[in-house]
Amino acid sequence: MSAATGTGRHWRLCAMLGVLALVAAALSLLLGRSSGGPTLGLGGPELESVILREIRLPRTLLALLVGGTLGLCGAALQGLLRNPLAEPGLLGASSGAALGAVLVFYFGLAGGDSLLLPLGAVLGSLLSLALLYALAGKSSDLLTVVLAGIAINAFTAALTSLVLNFAPSPYAALEILFWMLGSLADRSLVHVWLALPLMIPGWLLVIAAARGLDALTLGEETAASLGFDPRRTQWLVVTGTALAVGGAVAVTGVVGFIGLVVPHLLRPWVGHHPSRLLLPSFLGGALLATLADGAIRLMPPGPELKLGVVTALLGAPFFLRLVISSRNVAVSRDE
Amino acid sequence: MTMALVTDAVEVRYGARCAVRATSLALETSGFVALVGPNGAGKSSLLKALAGLASHTGTITWQGRALGALAARERARTIAYLAQASTVHWPLCARDVVTLGRLAHGHYGMAPSAADREAVEWALTQTATTELADRSISALSVGERARVLLARALAVRAPVLIVDEPIAMLDPFHQLEIMGVLARYARGADGGAPALVVAVLHDLTLAARFCGRVLLMTDGCVVEDGAPAATLSADNVRRHYHVEPFVAQHEGEPVIVPWRSLRGAPGAHD
Repeated sequence: MSAATGTGRHWRLCAMLGVLALVAAALSLLLGRSSGGPTLGLGGPELESVILREIRLPRTLLALLVGGTLGLCGAALQGLLRNPLAEPGLLGASSGAALGAVLVFYFGLAGGDSLLLPLGAVLGSLLSLALLYALAGKSSDLLTVVLAGIAINAFTAALTSLVLNFAPSPYAALEILFWMLGSLADRSLVHVWLALPLMIPGWLLVIAAARGLDALTLGEETAASLGFDPRRTQWLVVTGTALAVGGAVAVTGVVGFIGLVVPHLLRPWVGHHPSRLLLPSFLGGALLATLADGAIRLMPPGPELKLGVVTALLGAPFFLRLVISSRNVAVSRDE
Repeated sequence: MTMALVTDAVEVRYGARCAVRATSLALETSGFVALVGPNGAGKSSLLKALAGLASHTGTITWQGRALGALAARERARTIAYLAQASTVHWPLCARDVVTLGRLAHGHYGMAPSAADREAVEWALTQTATTELADRSISALSVGERARVLLARALAVRAPVLIVDEPIAMLDPFHQLEIMGVLARYARGADGGAPALVVAVLHDLTLAARFCGRVLLMTDGCVVEDGAPAATLSADNVRRHYHVEPFVAQHEGEPVIVPWRSLRGAPGAHD
C-alpha cells in the first residue's frame, strides 16, 4: 500500500538524514583549523573544554540550526508557492537582516560588544517583514506578496550599496562585504541564544502550516473546500520564514542555495508530498551546512573560505541543471 | 424527502457585477441535481456559494444551520467540492492525491488512519482507478486524471458533493463513466450513504438521463427548476440557450441534441 509505505519511507528518510547530520556534527566537533591547516582532535586536555565550548560547539550548533532553518523554510515556501524555484531569500527577510547588520557596521558599533551586530540584523529582518505586510496589505494574492518581497529585496539591496558607498574606510567596506558573504567562524554560544528565540517560533509556525500546504497541492479553492484557508497557510509560512531566516541571517550573514537545493533534492524521496518534505528538508539542510562548513575547515592554509561562498559555488551549477531539466520537461510537454 | 441545503435570497457579487441574483432554492438530502445554463449564467458562482467558497448575501443553511456558522472543518466534511478543471501542483501518486480528500477529516499527511485508507480504497474502486493508484498523476491521461480527482472528492465521503463541469474535456466513454459514478454516489450504492450531488453540466442529454432534477440558470437566476423533461423541454432550450434542439427518445430515455443556433437577440424567436 503506497500510502502506508510512503509514510514508512518518510520516517526512514528522516532517520537516515538525522543520523548523517549527527555524525557530521560529531566530526565537525573534532575538526579544527590552525594557521597550519586542518587539525584533528581537541588540542590536549587542558584546552579541550575551552575549544569545544567556546569555538567548535557554537559553530557546529549554528551550522545545524541555520542549515535546518534554510532547508525547512525553503521547503515550506516552495510548497506555498507551488514552485520548486522559491527560496527563503524571496520574501526580503534575509536582505532586511543584512541591511540591519550593515548599518551596525557603518556606525562603527560592530566592534567590541559584538551583540549589536546580530541585534541590528534581527531588527532589520523584523522591519522588512512589517514592510512586507504593509505593502501586500490584506491581499490574499500570492503574486502580490512575492512582488512585495522582490521590491523589498531590491530596496534593501540598494540601501546596502548606499551604505557601502559611504563606508568610512575601505577597511570598513571590506568588513561589511565579508560579513555579508556568510560565515560560521568566530561565533559564540551567545549567537545561538540570540538566534533561537526567532528560529523556534518560526519553525513552529511553518510546521503548523504543513497540512495547509498539502491541501494547497489541489489549488487554493479546493484547499479552502477542505477546510484549510489559504490565507492562513500563507500567513503561517511567510511569518514563520521571515522570523526563522531573519534569525539565521542575523548570526551568520547570508547563506544562499541551501533553501533551494535541499528541498528540491529530497522531494522525489517523499513522493513530492509537501508536508512530508518539511522535516527531511530541515535535517538535510542541517547536514549540508555542517558538511560545507567542515569542508571549509579542511581547506589548505590561507584565508578561510566563507560558508555563503561555498554554498553558492555548489548551488549555482545545481540551479543551472534545474533550469535545463525544467526546460526539457517543457519541451516534452509541447510535443 | 426533507430539504437539507436551502438558500434564501442568495446573491454573489464581483465588484459591481452581480453573478447570482436573489436565488432561493431547497435541495433534498439525496439525489443527483444538474445545474445547466448558458456560459456566464452564474452556475459556478452559485456552486461556490453552496460550497461556502464565495462570499454572498442572503443565507444558506445545511439542515437548518447557517453554513457560515459551521466550523471550517465541519463544513469541509459536509460539503465536498470538485473545482472546474482541477489541477494538481505536484506529481503525487494517484493514491496520495485521493488521500488529500481525507484532510477534511483531520488526516495528517504523514499517517492516514484505517478509516482514511478504507475511504481512499473505496473511492478508487468507485472510479475504477485502483490500478492507477501507484502511478504519478502527471503521467495519467486527461480522462484518468479526471477520474482520480473525482475519487479525491468522493474520498471526503461528504453528504453533499458539488462538482463543477466534471465531464468537460472528456471523451464519451469517460463522460458516461463519470456520470455513472456520480449517480451511484447520489443513490448511496456500494456501501455509501445516499448523498446530494449537484453538478454543472453542459451535455443536456446526460443531464436529462442521469439527473432526477434539473436547475436551469440564465443571467444569475434559476429560471427553471424541476424534472428533466419539464426543465429541458424544447421550448426552454430554445428560449434560454437560443438553439433549436433535436429531441427524441432512445431506449425509453430522452435525447436532447443542440442542432441549430437561433441567431438574433434573446427573445426574438418567441
